[in-house]
Amino acid sequence: MSTISLPQSSYIRDNSRTFIDWLKSWLLTVDHKRIAILYLLSINFFFLLGGLAATLVRVELITPQGDLMSSDVYNRAFTLHGVIMVFFFLIPSIPAVLGNFLVPLMIGARDLAFPRLNLLSWYLYMIGGIFALIAAVFGGVDTGWTFYTPFTSTYSNSNVVMSITGVFIMGFSSILTGLNFIATIHKMRAPGLTWFRLPLFIWANYATSIIQILATPVLGIALLLVIVERVWGVGIYDPALGGDPLLFQHLFWFYSHPAVYIMILPAMGVISELISTFSRKRIFGYEFIAFSSIAIAILGFLVWGHHMFVSSQSVYAGLIFSFITMLVAIPSAIKVFNWTATLYKGSISYRTPMLYALGFIGLFVIGGLTGIFLGVTAVDLHVTDTYFVVAHFHYVMVGGTIMAYLGGIHFWWPKMTGRMYNEIWGSIAALIIFVGFNMTFFPQFILGYLGMPRRYHVYPPEFQILHVMSTAGASILAIGFIVPLIYLAISLRKGAIAGDNPWGATGLEWKTSSPPPTFNFDKTPIVTEEAYAYPPEAAERDAASWRPGSPL
Amino acid sequence: MAEQQHTNAHHHGDRHTHISRGTYYRVFVALMVLMVLTVAAWWVEKNLLHIPGWLAVTIAMSIAIAKTVLIVLYFMHVKISSRMTQVYAAGAFVWLIILFVITMGDYVARGWPPQPGPLP
Amino acid sequence: MATITHEEAHVHAHGPELQHQFETPEQQKEAATLGMWAFLVTEIMLFGGIFMAYIVYRWAFPEAWEESAALLNTPLATVNTVVLLVSSLTVALAVNAAEEGNKRRLLTMLALTMLLGLTFLVIKGYEYSEKFAHCAGAKDPISWITGSDLHESHECLVPGRGFLFPEEHGATGGSHGAAHTASMQSGHQLFFLLYFCATGLHAIHMIIGLGVMSAITIMALRDRFSPTYFTPVEIGGLYWHLIDIIWVFLFPLFYLV
Repeated sequence: MSTISLPQSSYIRDNSRTFIDWLKSWLLTVDHKRIAILYLLSINFFFLLGGLAATLVRVELITPQGDLMSSDVYNRAFTLHGVIMVFFFLIPSIPAVLGNFLVPLMIGARDLAFPRLNLLSWYLYMIGGIFALIAAVFGGVDTGWTFYTPFTSTYSNSNVVMSITGVFIMGFSSILTGLNFIATIHKMRAPGLTWFRLPLFIWANYATSIIQILATPVLGIALLLVIVERVWGVGIYDPALGGDPLLFQHLFWFYSHPAVYIMILPAMGVISELISTFSRKRIFGYEFIAFSSIAIAILGFLVWGHHMFVSSQSVYAGLIFSFITMLVAIPSAIKVFNWTATLYKGSISYRTPMLYALGFIGLFVIGGLTGIFLGVTAVDLHVTDTYFVVAHFHYVMVGGTIMAYLGGIHFWWPKMTGRMYNEIWGSIAALIIFVGFNMTFFPQFILGYLGMPRRYHVYPPEFQILHVMSTAGASILAIGFIVPLIYLAISLRKGAIAGDNPWGATGLEWKTSSPPPTFNFDKTPIVTEEAYAYPPEAAERDAASWRPGSPL
Repeated sequence: MAEQQHTNAHHHGDRHTHISRGTYYRVFVALMVLMVLTVAAWWVEKNLLHIPGWLAVTIAMSIAIAKTVLIVLYFMHVKISSRMTQVYAAGAFVWLIILFVITMGDYVARGWPPQPGPLP
Repeated sequence: MATITHEEAHVHAHGPELQHQFETPEQQKEAATLGMWAFLVTEIMLFGGIFMAYIVYRWAFPEAWEESAALLNTPLATVNTVVLLVSSLTVALAVNAAEEGNKRRLLTMLALTMLLGLTFLVIKGYEYSEKFAHCAGAKDPISWITGSDLHESHECLVPGRGFLFPEEHGATGGSHGAAHTASMQSGHQLFFLLYFCATGLHAIHMIIGLGVMSAITIMALRDRFSPTYFTPVEIGGLYWHLIDIIWVFLFPLFYLV
């Protein structure tokens, strides 16, 4: 299948003569693949920025004293880290980059349903990002990424309004992406591509889109009211004026808990693709994985109060929220069990994307199980706002979403660019990230359990050894994130030509050339079989034909 | 009404199903009647007899919901739209109710508004 | 600019309105309708947050709500409700006219709709200016502008530092303590804050709606629509109806009960 050279015409190439023309052809493009590349670049920029803020936080925490930063600067550093990572990296990451690139390709469409809306959503993302950056440059915000009232509305004297405006605008970018996916997945599937023939990545993105359109506006209005309160000097959340600060938390978590699933659901979709491809097996329990995505999306809306166990919410509400929180574990576990069942008797090849996928399963299980600890009110009262919580959500967000994001980038890199990355360096980087990640965040579970509260820049000396371990791990993690940047950049020029289907995977995106032509398919494909239609003996044949020296 | 539903079912998937102008006028008249009713209820409550607050709210909200249903079904063509559009239209209101019910559940159980003074 | 030009293979026998990513006009129309509905879901949830705040604070301050509602201009709001309901009818008729390919009726209905929308905004603006005029000490907006009749009124219903709820309308006489008065005032202030936020957000949507309608009118003038292609009229109409529905709830919640 491998070809000697890249295809003559693809979405990357154009015949613009001057630099200005070339720039225009990218900045005014309505091609979903080009917009995905724009997102890839801008999102990775924000990721590095958020990582920089995290570095500041970790460096400060090497010593128990506040010797690098004052408490105020420290507050601004972790808030910058939180705001950038949550709103400008994790939420758009997989849907906006991989989803944008793959949804039309996977369903055999020429583009998304609303290409211009898609471009608009990238511009909104950038405008929101610029607002957040301006806020950071002119002093930053010190409220934490949650913007809790009455701190944001009454007490904080940092750039709250500017940051909130940025997040508000970014929210609309997220809504437009979701809306676009919903219309596309419903109306633009290729002939024969029924719902139960869709790749699971599409199911996951569909569930994500539902959350995006239902939850994001509620965050929008909650933040808008904070702006009104600050600018106008009136008290909608101010208890002194009859308001209720907890109302903000309700509205905020009505978005932000489902937003956790905006981050993790598409990651689960990516993992389903990777596991199946590199086991050479059809996915086990397709319908269960598909419906568990929808179930997580719906249940995710009913559990937000578990963020408010200690915030003077009613104990009865806490009880019910705690119970429903347990229910979310069921669809999540269904996915994990089905992935492991897919691995069973598969011909597993440990290519870089698969390393990330296997890492995901392990880390997500740890993150998910500690989530159950936190869902139990009795335990949560003990560890609320400690490093236990910090470690838990980093296991899910970094160990889950970022592992899947990187795995997905590697998996579809040949499709995006037409070239292969360096497999050896890829595996090394994946292992570095896995080790660095666990070294960073596992000590934080212990720290939190021992009572180290989050968001403090000084701490009792007995915690120092664990903090130093964590910082050391973070340095390893940072190296792990920089290495892929280098070899992926090199692969753009030096990488081997990938060919249409370097992994021997199923799925419509592998049926077109790499990189795909502007309109994806020369002829609209007709689908006659299920996704992951590996023949039953594919794994055995694959294993039998393995020889020393052939790729793992 | 039943017959109309039958014809709609018959035309399902047909692009040329549409709502006639006569229906629009009838719906509009119904909307105006409902509007007069809700204002009349307000006037009665204000000037003639005292209605308890919860009842007044229930009346006003029932009328508003009735108006919304009319507008959504006929003016916004949900009655003749695809099943998916209908699901989304209904979903929005279901999710509003989830937001309201769960949040108010907390407020009611917590005791709202907070009473000043020493704890009981 | 390979990204915008059509490939030869994708030139269809249909009209120019069929965008390159769709196979058939039906598919394009259904996608647009579904997409618009998904957006309307978003809008409903956006206002849902304000309604949530309304429920919470109404629950806390029922008396303040009753007293405050009495100070809003219900007759004007009733007129506005009628205006909006009529505009909903004209929009529905505009869609109907576009469906039947009747350009003249389509344009008439669109013009009527925009006129009604403007009327709504003017009346709303008058209501707002009334409240602001009272804060400035004038009896009504006209005397506020001309500068006569100042210091007639002792109320200010615009939330903020100057907020002053008139004594004679409140249940709080002189007999109650100062702390009590402050908490009563806060209930009233919350009512008016929510009133301004909700109706203001609604008015912003109305202005956007007017922009959408003007764009559709221009498209209609340029003969962009036909009985087979009138999707912009239809989804623009959906947006307009949503604005109407929001008002259908705002009107009784703030002015009546």
